[in-house]
Amino acid sequence: MPKKLQAVASLLMVFSFVLSACAPAATTVPPTEAPVVESPTEAPVAAPTDAPAVEPTVAPTEAPVAEPGGSLPRNETLYYNGQQWGAVACWNPYSSSCNNGLAIAQGDSARVTMFETPYLYNMLDGKQYPLLADGPYTWNDARTEITFKIKPAAKWSDGTPVTAEDVAYTWASHLKYETNTAAANKDYVDTIEAVDAQTVVIKAKLDEDGNAINPLLVAAYLSGNYVMQKAWTETLEERAGGDAAKFREDVAEDVVYSGPYHMFFSDETKVVLVRNDEYWGQDASMWGKLPAPKYLAHAIYKDNAAGFTALKAGEVDVSQQFNANIQDLWLKDGLPISTYLPEAPYGIGASLPTAFFNLSSPGLDNAAIRKAIAIAVDYDTIIANAMTNQSATFNQVPRSVMNPTAGEQEMYDQAAVADLQWAGKDIEGAKALLDEAGVVDTDGDGWREVDGKNLSYVATCPNGWSDWQAAIEVVAAAGKEIGIEITTNYPEWSVYQTVVTVWPLPEADYDIFMMWSGGAGPTQPWGRVRGLIGGEFAQTTGNWNGNWGGYINPEVDAIIKAIPAETDAAKLKEMYTELTRIYLTEVPSFTLMYRPQVFHAVNESVWTNFPHQDDGTNPPVPPMLLTDGWGIAGLYNLTLVEP
Amino acid sequence: MNNTLRQIFRSGKFVTGFAIFVAILLGTLIYPLIITDAPLTIIGQGTFFPPGIYVSVYDSLGSTRYTLDLGEANFNRIASRLSEEDRIAIKEWLVAAGIPEADIDTADTQKLLTQWEENFDAKKSIPGMTNAKRNYYVRLDKSIDGLLSAEGAILAQANAETGALEQTGTVEQSDFVNVQQVANVRFLPLGTDNFGRDMLTELVAATRVSLIIGFVAGIIATLIGLTLGLLAGYIGGPVDDGIMFITNLFTVIPSFVLLILISFSIGQEQRGAFTVAVVIGFTSWVWTARAVRAQVISLRNRDHVNLSKLSGHSTVHIILTDILPYIASYVVMALILQISSGILAEAGLSILGLGPKTTDVPTLGLMMNWARIYQADIQGRWWAYLPVLVTIAMVTFSMNLMNTGLDQVFNPALRD
Repeated sequence: MPKKLQAVASLLMVFSFVLSACAPAATTVPPTEAPVVESPTEAPVAAPTDAPAVEPTVAPTEAPVAEPGGSLPRNETLYYNGQQWGAVACWNPYSSSCNNGLAIAQGDSARVTMFETPYLYNMLDGKQYPLLADGPYTWNDARTEITFKIKPAAKWSDGTPVTAEDVAYTWASHLKYETNTAAANKDYVDTIEAVDAQTVVIKAKLDEDGNAINPLLVAAYLSGNYVMQKAWTETLEERAGGDAAKFREDVAEDVVYSGPYHMFFSDETKVVLVRNDEYWGQDASMWGKLPAPKYLAHAIYKDNAAGFTALKAGEVDVSQQFNANIQDLWLKDGLPISTYLPEAPYGIGASLPTAFFNLSSPGLDNAAIRKAIAIAVDYDTIIANAMTNQSATFNQVPRSVMNPTAGEQEMYDQAAVADLQWAGKDIEGAKALLDEAGVVDTDGDGWREVDGKNLSYVATCPNGWSDWQAAIEVVAAAGKEIGIEITTNYPEWSVYQTVVTVWPLPEADYDIFMMWSGGAGPTQPWGRVRGLIGGEFAQTTGNWNGNWGGYINPEVDAIIKAIPAETDAAKLKEMYTELTRIYLTEVPSFTLMYRPQVFHAVNESVWTNFPHQDDGTNPPVPPMLLTDGWGIAGLYNLTLVEP
Repeated sequence: MNNTLRQIFRSGKFVTGFAIFVAILLGTLIYPLIITDAPLTIIGQGTFFPPGIYVSVYDSLGSTRYTLDLGEANFNRIASRLSEEDRIAIKEWLVAAGIPEADIDTADTQKLLTQWEENFDAKKSIPGMTNAKRNYYVRLDKSIDGLLSAEGAILAQANAETGALEQTGTVEQSDFVNVQQVANVRFLPLGTDNFGRDMLTELVAATRVSLIIGFVAGIIATLIGLTLGLLAGYIGGPVDDGIMFITNLFTVIPSFVLLILISFSIGQEQRGAFTVAVVIGFTSWVWTARAVRAQVISLRNRDHVNLSKLSGHSTVHIILTDILPYIASYVVMALILQISSGILAEAGLSILGLGPKTTDVPTLGLMMNWARIYQADIQGRWWAYLPVLVTIAMVTFSMNLMNTGLDQVFNPALRD
């Protein structure tokens, strides 16, 4: 290269680095039970073109019917980001690896765009509302059986009615073909039977005393899992020829569904669902009308930055990704973008990203050391810097095992544990705690010792999960203040997930590590406590459920076992308060921030009337992307800004 | 030697490059003597504070107050909280609320605000209004509340026993403090980064680390390249073939790809700044080796070399005294380029997330990486990445300039 050009070339090179960067920035934490279904950090499989493949500004007034793969009429299409990374693999809800962000996500608030559940969970009021089901379900007196009816209006896309037999057959197929759904529920759900065409009875698994092992999880099944058509399942079985793996891996493009949308187009640049104008839900017994957008579309973005740019440009209506300093979009840029709450924390906190202590690391078996580290951490900085204030602070919502929703906060006695709740940055308190426990620096090198060895830990989280990384940096900084050396380390997620889910944890590099906790769901807060301190998951391998640090306490386990069968609110409150007390005393892990179930920001350039705080809906529509659980009700309220 | 130096410093290009480089170097050496804060200390609670002078509000309340009657004060105050767009937005609301358009004068602040106060209702639903717009009006309402008040603000303190607020003083609108007299003032010339760290302090520390990485990488690369080139060129034969075989192998593999692969396989735990520098050094010696070999081959059969051989000097002696001095100027130039490409390589690696560990030291590449992760580039936080870019550019630019200058002095083909 001619030397004169080199100076120019080096400049160009620097700029090209900026442009060529490619690590996804933020993270979504999948809800409790299921192993990672969707995670933006899994690098996009296919490399899409640089520009998002959407046709943003063109809004033909009299739109002809769009061709699959062609351009979509803007004022009939609701665009998403942050849900779909890489191409869709299949349309088969029996599979757990469809990578189908718009259509398939079973869980606490199941995604009901294409497939439907009997009930819809509403994270704002904690209730389950009937969808395919007709009216509320009932328990028998012994709380061992649930009975509910199917709506007479409910129809499959082929026009046949949804029957109780479909519900029963779906469960039988899950069991027969050993799906993840079966694995998660078969210890609690015994059988699902069709009494007649409309009536379904779910029998819970019973313990030796004849009580249901876990009535909470049985009830949660109703809003967390899809109902599939029996006839189509039989077609699938025939195709699979009895091979369980084939059954689960089928692409299922011929799938029969009951929801308002179905597949329109999908490749490695975008996924589009189109409305089924024959959808049964327009019957007066359900919604009474069709959802507003004709198309739901999701361009597949390279990373968060690309998705963010599209949101800014109005090419995305509903954004499910962590956008740092989102308030600048309206404060500085004056864009018609808003979040569920107008002010920080902008969303409803639902889950508790938590740092777990590896209790087998030297010194971390000592509760005083654990607590000292936890109370020294500057949580306000984590929330302000790592989360850019998109989390309530621990002064606003004191720490416990509850998420910040009002419903859960009422479930424990805050006053009883107030003296145990710390807000952080208590350096003096932490030092005193360590001194008192005899953990002191005897050789004067600045680091405290246990058994003559300096306390030195590695704090870790997956690489590229920027908000977690920034939080871990703050944890490490706290260690220095109290004489405990904490360094950081960020392995790739592909490595990380194989390490923290296996017991025993490695001796080095994973002393303090971040994982998540349960979000909002019908089994919460019970499911979350179980995941934080329940002995059930402690020291197990293939553990995707919680308690990764290996904390075991029989007292805790007894309470966790008793809660699902307990119906007396006062007793429940007592139990949860006791669990909180133990959790805050023993500190087997510590929560670093609150995090919404899903990030939910909307751009009102085309559509408006999205759910927001005090929007007058009753029951309130939760900020669940207008696709999940009761959140789908929001799709029926949307209107165009310029009709 | 003196003569050579004099010649070098007569080259305008070299002097410019040298001056820039020395300025940067001195900056990294002197700045830490003045600002002694640790570069990775988190001082800001929040991300990307813009550049400016930060004055403690609390301390300024206790400072000596001066009364300044500035004619512009009221106007400025109103303008900062009620922009032209805000006035037009207020008019839109008032029209929607049923006030005749003729009655609204956006220039008459007093009247406009009175009308606003009388008519604004956050709960009122206006057809076609988006939630974002509604939020805007609520914010606006809060922001202009009491805008025209001529009263000062009251300072109050909670009574320790009853909890009731007791007035302890007032702040008049014409009260000023002298920034010099406020106990806590922090000048952040480049604001803060996403962690809330002082950007300038971090940048200086990062430049230093990046320079060290560049030097280490450059010296390693040059040493390897020089040694192999000298051996291959002078000894020739099978040694030459062997060395050139390896060199050619490395030539066809793009070194940056190699760098990425090695960095990735080392794993983050082991990736300190020094390790990264060594890895860069070990992947970028190829061209130096080839060029040195070519030069040595042309020197190998010169008379003075043959004379040395006849005198019975050892190979090492001949290489060091009869060959090396003749290619020294080239080696120095190669070293300078290696240093500058080492700095670029570190930046490139860090931006891909393969750079040194974050917490230990700041480097220019890591700063860019974090700025990008927190979307500083697309959210217009120029202070979080532009100064870093400029620094990288200036460092490499100055080195290339020095290199070109040297080239003009030493390369007979280019000599004037």
